[in-house]
Order: sequence, then C-alpha cells, then structure tokens
Amino acid sequence: MSDETKTGLNGFLDSQMTRRQFLKISGKSIAGLTVSATMLSLFGCTQEQVDSEQVVTWAMPQGLLVVNAAKCTGCKRCEINCSLFNDQECSSYISRVKISRNLHIHGKDGLLMGNFTYYPDTCRQCEIPACGEACPEKAILADDKGIKRVDNDKCIGCGACVEACPWHMPTINPETRKSSKCIACGACVLGCPTAALSIIPWDAVTAAAQEIVA
Amino acid sequence: MAIYGWTGKLLRINLTDLSATTEDSMKYQDYIGGMGLGYRVIYDEVPLNTHPYDPASKFVMAVGPLTGSGIPCSGRMNIAFLSSWSKGHSIIDAHMGGHIGPKMKYAGYDAMIVEGVASKPVYLKIQDDQVTFEDASHLWGKGTFESNQVITEECGRDFESASIGQAGENLVNYSTLNTSFGNSGGAGIGAIMGSKKLKGIAISGTGSVKVADPAKVKELSDYMMRELIGGNNNHNVPALPQSWAEYSAASGKNRWSGAPGREWKKAAGGPIDMGEQPCGDINKIAYRCLKGVFDYGDVASNYIVKQGGCSSCPIRCYTQYDMEPLAEYDLPTHVSNTCMPMLYGQNFYPSGLIDFKYEGDAKMIINGASSHAQDDLGLWCNYGNLYREVKWVLSTEEGKSHIPEAEWNSYPWEWEKAADPRWVVEIMRRIAYKEGEIAVIGEGTIAMAEKWGLGKEYFDSIDSLNQNVTYNGYPKHHSAEDSGQIGLLFNLMYNRDCMIHHLTNVTNSGAPYEVSKATMEGFFGKGSYDKMKSCTPMNRNKAKVARWAFNGKQFHDSATLCNWMYPMTQSPSKARNYVGDLELDAKYMAAVTGKDYTRESVEFDSERISQMLRVMTAISFNIQFGSTNLRQDHDGMPAWIFDKQPELRAFEEGTDKMDREDMELALDYFYEEMGWDKATGIPTRATLVKYGLADMADDLAGRGILPN
Repeated sequence: MSDETKTGLNGFLDSQMTRRQFLKISGKSIAGLTVSATMLSLFGCTQEQVDSEQVVTWAMPQGLLVVNAAKCTGCKRCEINCSLFNDQECSSYISRVKISRNLHIHGKDGLLMGNFTYYPDTCRQCEIPACGEACPEKAILADDKGIKRVDNDKCIGCGACVEACPWHMPTINPETRKSSKCIACGACVLGCPTAALSIIPWDAVTAAAQEIVA
Repeated sequence: MAIYGWTGKLLRINLTDLSATTEDSMKYQDYIGGMGLGYRVIYDEVPLNTHPYDPASKFVMAVGPLTGSGIPCSGRMNIAFLSSWSKGHSIIDAHMGGHIGPKMKYAGYDAMIVEGVASKPVYLKIQDDQVTFEDASHLWGKGTFESNQVITEECGRDFESASIGQAGENLVNYSTLNTSFGNSGGAGIGAIMGSKKLKGIAISGTGSVKVADPAKVKELSDYMMRELIGGNNNHNVPALPQSWAEYSAASGKNRWSGAPGREWKKAAGGPIDMGEQPCGDINKIAYRCLKGVFDYGDVASNYIVKQGGCSSCPIRCYTQYDMEPLAEYDLPTHVSNTCMPMLYGQNFYPSGLIDFKYEGDAKMIINGASSHAQDDLGLWCNYGNLYREVKWVLSTEEGKSHIPEAEWNSYPWEWEKAADPRWVVEIMRRIAYKEGEIAVIGEGTIAMAEKWGLGKEYFDSIDSLNQNVTYNGYPKHHSAEDSGQIGLLFNLMYNRDCMIHHLTNVTNSGAPYEVSKATMEGFFGKGSYDKMKSCTPMNRNKAKVARWAFNGKQFHDSATLCNWMYPMTQSPSKARNYVGDLELDAKYMAAVTGKDYTRESVEFDSERISQMLRVMTAISFNIQFGSTNLRQDHDGMPAWIFDKQPELRAFEEGTDKMDREDMELALDYFYEEMGWDKATGIPTRATLVKYGLADMADDLAGRGILPN
C-alpha cells in the first residue's frame, strides 16, 4: 500500500508523519511509551523489554530501525556484512555498526565485567547530523531519500565527523583515509541471526499506528 | 600482487630479548595456515627432543585464510607446540574460539611464533604493527577472568585478550589459555606460556581481511545459512517438531534444541521464546541452539540470559547463565561454557548433589561453579580425564589409596557432604596450585599412571571412568560409539583427543538413519555408513570416510573453520533431500583467496598436514622410546574397546564393542589410504615426496625409521 493511498483512506496518519513522530523520540529508548500489541509484534519485542530499556528505535529514511539489546548474542555478523557489503573486505574497525567495542567492556557492562549485557551501536541517521555539521568539507550530505552519505571525493579523512558524533559511529578507514559512515543499506539487519536488529518499513509502522488511532 | 585471505605476514616474538619482527607468511601457503603452518614451523625450528618447557621450545598461534573473512563459523585459532603430558611429547595443538583469531588477522598477522623466556611476567600488546611487552607482575597469580579484564582496561576496549591462569603459571600440564568468556585453548598451552613468563596477549587491529570475490563470499555465506546450516554440531533436524519440518529427532533430543515454548527466561526485559526457526530464515538461526536445555532439560531455561559464542558464527553454542544461587557462596553467578567444563562437576561429589532453587537444577548449578572456576584457574580437563580421575580418587577405595591420609583429611569434606559448590572450586584450586597428591591428576594420565604404579591394566580396564582410547594418555572423542571403526581410527591418530566431529555430527543429527545413510552413501559409496551401535565389518569405503574426516579436521583447524559445524555434510532442506555440500570448503577457499581451489586440492593440502603429524609423531616416539613402529607403539588400542559388554559380540546390534581382527584390518586399509607402511604405520618416501615433504622422508631415513 502506497503512502498516498493510505493517507487518502485515513486522512490522519501517513508514513512521513509517523517518521516525524518517531524522530522526536529517536535518541532515547521508547521506554515509557505504551506500544500496541500489533506494534510490539511488528518490532519483535515485548512491553517488558520496552519498559526495561532493552529496545531502542531510530527513525531511518526507509523505516524504523529497532535495536533489541536482549536479543544480541555478540556474533558480529552485523559488522561482517556491513564491511563486506560496503568495503568489499571484512573488518570490525571500519564497520558502520559496532558490536565489538561493546562486547567485552562497555562501561560497567560486558563479558569481562562479568555480565551478558552487550548490544550493537548503530548510526542514528540524525535529522541534523553532528557528523555532517562538523565536516569542514561539507562532505556529508543527505541524498534524495534523506540518507546522509559521505561524498568520497570531498572527504579528506580528517576525522571531524568521528569526533563530532556523540556516539563516534563513523570511522576513518586507515587505508583509504575516507570516513566510513552508515548509509542505511540494511546489510547488518539482513544478516542478524537473532533479529536483534530490524528495520520496519514506514508503511508497516504507520499501519500499526493506525490501529492505535482507531 | 594483492594477497587475498592471508595477510602475508607473520609475527615473531622473542621473549628473551623482547623483540618483535615480521616475516613473510606466504612461504607457508601450501600448509594452508593454522595447524598446518604451526606444524611446519615447529618441525623446522624446534628439535623434537626439546622439552616443552625449555627456553628453546616455541609455540605458534596461527589462523588461516578463512579466519575473519566473514565466512560463518570462521572465528577459530590454532596453537601448535610440543606436548608436555601425552606419550612421546610430540606435536600437539590447542584450539580456541571467541574473537581473538579474527582480531589477529585484522591486526595484520597470519601467525605468531613465540620463542624464548621473559625475565619477568609480561603480556604482549599488539596494536596493528605496534608490538610492546607490558609488565604483568600485577597480574601474575590472578585468574583469567580478572586478567583479561585488567588487560582490556589497560589496553582499551577495542582489544581482544587471552590470558593464562594460575594453572599455567604453576606449570600444571593440564592448563589452558582463556579468552572472551569460557572460550579456551587447552592441551597444556597455559604452562607452555607460563614457562615463558607470558601471562597473556592483547590484540587490536584496524585492518581487514581482503577477499578476492566479496560478492561470492557473501553469496556463499548466505547460501550456507539458508540451505545448509542446522543447529549446533550441524544437527540438521530440530529436536522437537516444528510446523515447517518434515522430521524431528526421534528421541526428542539433539543440539537443535531451540523450540517454541523454550525460552531465555532470564533475558533482560523478560523471557524470549525461541519460536520456530525454519530452514531458509537467516534471522532466526541463532535461536536453534539452546545448549543449556540440551544439557540439563527445561529447568535450565530458568537461568538462561542468552546464548553467546564465537565471531561470525550464527549458531550460539555458549549458553550464558545467571545462576543466582551461586551468590550465596560468594561465587560469580554469570557463567558460560559449552563443553566439558560445563558437564562433569558432579564427578567431584561422591555423596551426591542437592537441588538449589528448582527441581533438577543441582547438576547445572554445580557445573556453573565448576566451569567458571576451571576457566578462571586456566585448568584443562583433557576431554574429561581430569573429572574421571578425580571421581576415581574421591569415590573408590583404590583411588583414595593414593592420597596421603593427612591430605585426605585436609579436604573441606563438610562442603562435599552439603553439596556446596565451593567444594569443586577448592579441589580444582588444589590441582591448579599443585597442592598435594591429588594434583598429580593435573600432570596428565600418563604421569599419574606412572607415579601411582597403575600399569597397563589401568588403560585396559572395563570401567566407565576409563575412556582412554590409546595408551598415550588421552580419551576417546566421538569414537566407535558414533561411527564404529571410522571413529576409532581417527581417534588413534593424534597426540591428544582427536577433536573430529565429521561423523558424530551426522550420526547424532536426529535425522532418520535411512536419510543420513542415503547422504553418506551418495558421497562415499555403499557400506560407508553404519547405524550407531550396529556396526558392520570393515570395508574400503569406511577407510575412505576415515581419511576424509582425518584430513578434513586438519583443514578446519588450518583454514580456520569450526569443526563442530563443518563440513556441511547434511542440510535441513527437504528440497535438497537433506544432502549438504562437501564442495563448500573449497568454494570458500576459492572465493576468499582467488586461487582455483577444488575439493581435491583442498583435501590434498589437508593431507599434507596429516602426513606431517605422522612424521613428527614417528620421530618423537623414536626419540623418546627408540620406537620404529607407530602401529605398535602409538596406535595400540586398550583391551576395554574389545572386551566390554562380555554378553555381546562385536557387530551385534546394541553394542559399540569392536573386534580385534577387524580393527587390524581397519588399520591396514586406513594406512593404505594414507600411503603409510602397513607394518609400521609410518609414511613411505613416495607418499612424503608426493606431498612435497621429501625433507621429512630424509629425516626419517636418517633416523632409520623410513619404511623400506
């Protein structure tokens, strides 16, 4: 079902509006929200996981990225698929999704801190990206879908984007001296063997949200 | 020319002068990597009469072209060195999973050769091409969990670390190197490192593994995950019925134990149901293996947080538990291990166990305590011989007779009687600290049998605590009970337990026998696949299967791939008639390295490693015992294998006892397959020349043990 048809049918919610609503809560967990059973099912999570801050959502141009920490088993297939798809080589360091750095020691958590709390960090595809704002070459720009991409012709590998990102998600590839920043390609999601990472298309999120409204 | 798969570099660490240099690693390409590379380096550089703890002894940590390439289940590392504990002190290896193997590749190295002895405890810090020797005085005496934590805190969270525990420091032969959480390499590597005052290793790498055909690597990986992979040990049908599956395990039990209604009950934010995991759905694969429930039944779910495991593997075989009853004893509650350390803690309790919180949870909680303690101390079990021998000492009059009375009375027996988890921790501590006569067990079955005068009969005896598959000091590891003569043959070949899962993965898969038989006979011909415990007499096709498995394991520890998962012999796909893909290993090699590997060429390169193992074993046995005959002195099989279950005859249904004459024929056929002299079991010159090992033939000839 296209956005247009849906708007016509309902006249209240469309994917753009859904995305805007989720953008408001991006950057926080969705704890505290009451999420409908349909939406929980769509997100592959439970209200209890939402309430205990296991689930974080990020509004991406093509859909809602749902990260469920409780489901992450630390296999690193997200990093593998990211680097194989985007860099044509296999690496952890330049992966745009990052689990390795969280696995063993992450604050008070991680395997070597004696617990099993670890999860993948992802690019948030911020509406106003700190990485892009900080880039002295204005090399990080939104494409026609709204995805912020690095223009490799402009990137000088200075690392300003890495520093500026509050989560240090971009990485300067030591060989190419270009910033590896997420382009929301979804390779990590497709390869996640527990669906700890998933992207729910806006159409589907909107349809689930309609139910709440109805 | 660009190099794909391999990094092209190896690191040589000299602890005596604290130097680190790099060398070309491509000269070892014929040996694949990992085990093969390690064996060649040890042969070239360490005279086989070197004592394993001598400063001239070395160890080789090595990975292969597939490690860290993105291929599923490619996270393992091989460590080759001379054995401190098995008969002949010959070539041996430890294998470890976790994440450190791929990290070594990302740092730019195919291998690390470690030689010399440091003057004080150090750990190695490797950050790409920067290698430094860090003081480890503050870590000496600490367990592996704390050591790895401190090392990672000191180096940074991008580092992967591995440490030895007190067992390794105290030169206990049964010692490990531990990484991540519960992942370890055993076989005595802990004490080899301890003898060199090397407490641990930390590696960080910003590089990558270059692959020749990235699209193909991705395609093959997805193909493997959609069509070929099953559960843990690649069991290819689920344990319990699932709506999409034609078959499930007849017994209701196998290692594809995840099922609807089975949960990670202690997951953060509430229970997570394993649901169905249909063939073809990549995003559900990691719910297939629920190892805790496989090991302990549904009661395990109450303590399961999630499943973990190694880099790149979608089968998460390390159950990660939160066993809160352990808190009452001031023991860590977060525990995880997947193998032997998690299974035999009850052997320490002759008075039996008492449940903690749920009915039937006693064994699991005790094993939580024992596995964590064992991993922390860096103590190795020799595939269970440690637990068997402790049980023999603690629960039989004969065993007890070897412990002095004062020592016996010094044990905190009140803990044993109360089934207190601190008991097993304390007994393990004594072994790791070499306190008292019980610590003899930690020196190895051979040393124990010699010191306590147990004689050949100890290895021959029909007793469930005797699993020794040779007279060389190690037990069987999926032997005749799974695959008759085939399993027993490859169990005889190494200088430690064989670690080959080629056959057990098929026979225990849960698929109907006729389905697996059709697959195996399709690959290997008629008569190649017996029903478990319903063995038929030896034939040539079985010898071919044994050769395939023996060489294949060498490939997996060299490439590296996990042999618990590979080869993909079977498949969960009905559309494939449940037939796997034995060409897959070669397809991976071609896609990753860009070289035209075929199944034949991969098996040829793998067999080269088997030949090196055999040559080095022959030389060691010659040096140690003047042996000129491996058939007689290395491959001898204890009597229990043939004399067990006196009420049954070999080849009768229901027994895995073997027939002496038939096994002699099996050795004949197998030696012929391998190109070894039938009388001595030693490779002929023609065989060694064929594999480019003429120098080894010359060496054998110089020692007078090259077959005529």
